[in-house]
Amino acid sequence: MQPDSAVLIGLAAAALAFAVIFTPLATSRRALLFKGGTGLAGSAAIAAVPSFDLSLLILLALGVLHASIEGPRAFAVRLRAPVVAVATMAIALVFAHAQGSDAVQRFAAVGLVAGLAAAVGLLPYMHPLEPDEPMTSSPIPWIAFVGPVLAAVVVFRAQQLLGQDAGGVFGGLLIGLGLLNIAWGSVSAWLTESEVAAWRYSFVADWGLVLCGFGVTLADGGRAALLVLFSIIVGRLPLYIASRQALRDRSVAQRPINYLVAGALAGSAPFVGFVARILLLRAATQLYWPLALALALGMLLWLPGSLRLGRSLAVPRGRQAIGVSLVLALNVAAGLYPLPILLAARL
Amino acid sequence: MVAGVAAFVAWLGASIIVLGDGRRALALGVVFATAGMAVIAWQNAGTAAGVAIAAGGAIAAARRAVSGPDGWRIMPPGSTPRLVLCIASGLVVLWIAAAVTTGPGASLRFTVMLVAGLMGARVLAGEDPPVLLTATSVLALAVALPAAMGDGSVGPWPYVAAAVIAGTIGWLPLRTASAA
Repeated sequence: MQPDSAVLIGLAAAALAFAVIFTPLATSRRALLFKGGTGLAGSAAIAAVPSFDLSLLILLALGVLHASIEGPRAFAVRLRAPVVAVATMAIALVFAHAQGSDAVQRFAAVGLVAGLAAAVGLLPYMHPLEPDEPMTSSPIPWIAFVGPVLAAVVVFRAQQLLGQDAGGVFGGLLIGLGLLNIAWGSVSAWLTESEVAAWRYSFVADWGLVLCGFGVTLADGGRAALLVLFSIIVGRLPLYIASRQALRDRSVAQRPINYLVAGALAGSAPFVGFVARILLLRAATQLYWPLALALALGMLLWLPGSLRLGRSLAVPRGRQAIGVSLVLALNVAAGLYPLPILLAARL
Repeated sequence: MVAGVAAFVAWLGASIIVLGDGRRALALGVVFATAGMAVIAWQNAGTAAGVAIAAGGAIAAARRAVSGPDGWRIMPPGSTPRLVLCIASGLVVLWIAAAVTTGPGASLRFTVMLVAGLMGARVLAGEDPPVLLTATSVLALAVALPAAMGDGSVGPWPYVAAAVIAGTIGWLPLRTASAA
């Protein structure tokens, strides 16, 4: 197993523990633990198996299991994304192994990126969302729980499978798709009507940074991607879980805690998102400075959406307040001293 | 020659799954697709791989033969786009597998790309859970086939895993959508 995948699995386990401990009492903790544990085991298996075909098969099994969870969206709707992802990546695998012109390997790069976007639920293949859907059957586990490990595995396998030319195409596609997701996600998180949809778009925007980080094939790019994934799993996901009750009650607040949460979501200092953004900008500057300019402009778009999401948390009380404090403290600690995370991932 | 016939049989089976809505048509499609893929797996990865694919497909076909919408329901009204999809995708993938890409294993490339593409399209366009599960089972079998194009260091495990997934998916208890 790759060290970065192992780190991401550990973070996902921590997020699951958070969800089980701090979820509102009305939710069944046992069911959450069972479904989340299945997802975690599947993620670990995706990363641990020795070949990419096996990873795809586990992804397919996980997709079928997730689609079969009871929920307001039809089985067919929930099954489409993982099946399309697996089919696309299987075809990409054939192109990657086949002999032929350089264009053949480039098709493999396109298939891998398209499959990753479909599996995680990013543009151009966003999973349909029902605002009142329970979290376990919603698209959120794909974008914030299974997706990070899957992305690390796909990027690692792509480096093994693709030659230099196709590898460049793979990186370029990731950057292009990343910029698209940054723009679409951050603007939509700001302007969309539904608060739940705004949260989902904020995940999409964060994933844009991840894709750009993986696409910039310098060491700082990989570090930035890992730290953004950290902020998704240990920051945005737990804060979304903590906000679920307030979202149901449609209550908002503008207390200092809401601005702190907004700061964490926007990637401001001293939270971990800030370090990730600095690393990404540094890597982009080394690669091609106009890319850094585009990224910097895109990063400004986080602020209005984050202020909105911070308010949607309302005023956390009791167990929820402890959870939010813990999340903020972890994100500050990782922002001030990210080295242990990067060392654990050998980046 | 054998590989070419097997690839054609796999295309036929995948096309029947795309064109049929009844359980008999779906089961027959799984049988054909499995037979083609099992021969290709046997030729490219050995007996264990072929047996695993055949076993997984047989279980999936047997399950589908006894559950799902009654009858054949092959090419119900409005199926022309599906028919065009089957023929056009077969021709395009044949061109890619035999002309755009080179080297040995053209039948393997054709089968994986065609079956994965058609099953993906079936799931995208379908609504009925038995149809979707059938397409997903066959897709699982197709996903294992590219293992033969690698260095072979993982042995028959991708085929066994695909067979387990294809064989068990059909038994999944499904509930209808609810506003829980």
